[in-house]
Amino acid sequence: MSLIGSVSALSASTLPRLPGVTQPDGLSPVAAPITPKTAAAPGADVVQPGGFGQLFDNLVGAVDAKQTEATQLSRQVLLGQNDQLHQSVIAMQEASVAFSLMVQVRNKLVESYQELMRMPV
Amino acid sequence: MNLISGIDVSASALNAQKTRLDIVAQNIANAQTTRGANGLPYQRQTVSFETELVNRSGGTVDGGLPLQSVRVASIQGDPTPGQRVFDPQHPDADATGTVTMPNVNLAYEMVDLITATRAYEANLSVVKSARQMALKALEIGK
Repeated sequence: MSLIGSVSALSASTLPRLPGVTQPDGLSPVAAPITPKTAAAPGADVVQPGGFGQLFDNLVGAVDAKQTEATQLSRQVLLGQNDQLHQSVIAMQEASVAFSLMVQVRNKLVESYQELMRMPV
Repeated sequence: MNLISGIDVSASALNAQKTRLDIVAQNIANAQTTRGANGLPYQRQTVSFETELVNRSGGTVDGGLPLQSVRVASIQGDPTPGQRVFDPQHPDADATGTVTMPNVNLAYEMVDLITATRAYEANLSVVKSARQMALKALEIGK
């Protein structure tokens, strides 16, 4: 199901660049058709390894690594161990953009959850 | 994770231009130094750059192209002879009373300084634009 047609073409090249995304046997995880489970196996509510939770966990980990790197570089510059001022500022900017990406993903998650909660039953 | 693509290249260029600025500073500071570490007058240093291939995001074919960044290839002395000034009072004057001054030309150094500054600013603009593009891309969903 692709509601926005061009997005699937986009994801093929961008998804491998995200952390923790491994393509199983050359198949793009987004392009794979969603097969509804016919019978819920016992213990199906356990989070599958490599699922979205794992992906988001890896994303948060990568953002945290960027923040740590930026902090490290700024610290080195401030302590006089390093005179690469631009690298520390660039690392800070990169961490900022990565954080914005994480916030956007979180916003989308919360939005979809609220959309589901608004559904009349 | 490389969200701001091409930023490694700009960072390397910033690094290179900063090195160039440092060398210009060294040249200007030593414009009157008639005795260096080897006992000779200071020799003007020049910086040359070379390209360096970086693989973006692990070098995958669809993930990113291999980009050419820049690094300092060498810092070499300028072999042109320095100006000889008649100054018998100078401690470094030879038997004929002339002193060999460093071959630093302040006009050249100022041109190098401005060039390095402008090149640095140009690379900073690239960084700024790349960041703005990334942030604009994040605004797609808003």
